[in-house]
Amino acid sequence: MKNSKTLAILKDNLWTNNPIFIQILGICSTLAVTNNLRNTVVMTLGVSFATALGSMTLSAMKDLIPRKVRMIIQVLVLSFFVILIDILLRAYLPEVSKQLGPYVGLIITNCILMGRAEAFAQANKPLLSFWDGLTSGLGYMAVLLAIAVVRELLGFGTLFGLRIMPEGFVTWTIMIMAPSAFFLAAMVMWWAKNKQAARAAKAKAPTQGGKA
Amino acid sequence: MFQKQIMMRRVLYALIPIAALSVWLYGPRVLFILATSLVAATLTEFLFERAKGGKTSEAVLVSGTLLALSMPPAAPLWVVALASAFGVFMAKEVYGGFGRNIFNPAIAGRLFVYISFAALMGQSFYQPGSFGQAAGSLFGQPDAISGATPLAIMRDGGSVPILDLLLGTRSGAIGESSIVLLAAIALYLVATKTAQWRLIVSTLGSGAALCIILWMAGVPGALPPQSLLAGSFVFVAVLMSTDPVSAPKKKGAQWAYGSLIGASVIVIRSFSLFSEGTSFAVLLGNSFASMFDRMASQSAQKRKAKTEAAAKEAGK
Repeated sequence: MKNSKTLAILKDNLWTNNPIFIQILGICSTLAVTNNLRNTVVMTLGVSFATALGSMTLSAMKDLIPRKVRMIIQVLVLSFFVILIDILLRAYLPEVSKQLGPYVGLIITNCILMGRAEAFAQANKPLLSFWDGLTSGLGYMAVLLAIAVVRELLGFGTLFGLRIMPEGFVTWTIMIMAPSAFFLAAMVMWWAKNKQAARAAKAKAPTQGGKA
Repeated sequence: MFQKQIMMRRVLYALIPIAALSVWLYGPRVLFILATSLVAATLTEFLFERAKGGKTSEAVLVSGTLLALSMPPAAPLWVVALASAFGVFMAKEVYGGFGRNIFNPAIAGRLFVYISFAALMGQSFYQPGSFGQAAGSLFGQPDAISGATPLAIMRDGGSVPILDLLLGTRSGAIGESSIVLLAAIALYLVATKTAQWRLIVSTLGSGAALCIILWMAGVPGALPPQSLLAGSFVFVAVLMSTDPVSAPKKKGAQWAYGSLIGASVIVIRSFSLFSEGTSFAVLLGNSFASMFDRMASQSAQKRKAKTEAAAKEAGK
């Protein structure tokens, strides 16, 4: 019973209710950081970390929070973890920290964090909330990494800074700029929704056939 | 295989003289660009429509041709194919195909590659004349210096003979140069009611007015009035702003739409980093088109309600 629920959460956050292509949350960072794989990895790890620990903490203290001020408390707790990430990055990855600039601090405004705190951690046990936050972060990470691979490969001809494309390759300047993430994120959404719609239609068809 | 569309055919007929002239200007290379663009555009639309069960429209041939004509003559063929496929895919098919697109596919494709490969495109112009031989070989040779477009020259304070501008014997994108031919095409399209004259007049009029005002006022960066004949301003006014799908349908909205495009062209040309702003201007106009239409129909309704109320009053 318990196991099936964790699996259901995993599937939900990675696919059927993915934060990017179904809930359309966290789009600002999708546009801002995905032109470079290294930054994307750091950013998405940060979001996963903050969402997971934030959800767990909030879930553990949910009975202590007065309902009327819960949003304020949620922001407070989440920002604690975001600041932690910011300090860690500055200490150990100063270069990435400089490139990401304000976006690390802006993780707090990433709707995925507040979304999971409100939608899940409010009504569930701490461990399960941790799992939910983590898998939400992974769902976010999967989409962003896919976009970042395309953008860095075409925009710089590299992956993780390593040259992949041949010497004569003409880089696509537009892939470095934010608009390309709009196209790519939209294409991912389109692909995923089509896929899910096709699956839903398939699942429905046999029962309908049975009725007829 | 194609859905028959008389209007689109007329545009295609009208584009034949331009294509012919550009072969003389830039050599047989133009035909390869044209073919690449048409194949890429048609293939993209065909694949999509097949999946949806729709028909390939003849409009895609117009988009493909217009896109090819707006490329610089030495543009690499893969860039042309990419522009064409991107334009039809992202600006047309994702919106649901012919008749539903907000943006002009040819312009979207052109802008995509112009932004992506700015340096490459900037070096792809060459001197026109005698089937490309003026540039050194039958297939033309890109030359950044002699290939400087008239707009770039005027920006640097130089001048270009007006006769060259009118006849189109100056470097630039493949099909944009001959003002005389474009004027003839405009007459043909308006006479056959394929293009809406209001769109052409408002685009040209507002652009000319703003250009002359800025020039007279001596604003720094303002270009001389001859610049209206340079670049792709006339080409865009005649062939791009009149696209029946992405332009508004109501009278007042059409005036507003054309004026917005014309004015934006001049503003971008004079004050931005880009020497040419026609593509941006058209996309800007496209995004306001349905709003203009809505405003026009709302004000028409208001007027109607008013006259009805007045009639009722009179009836009493």
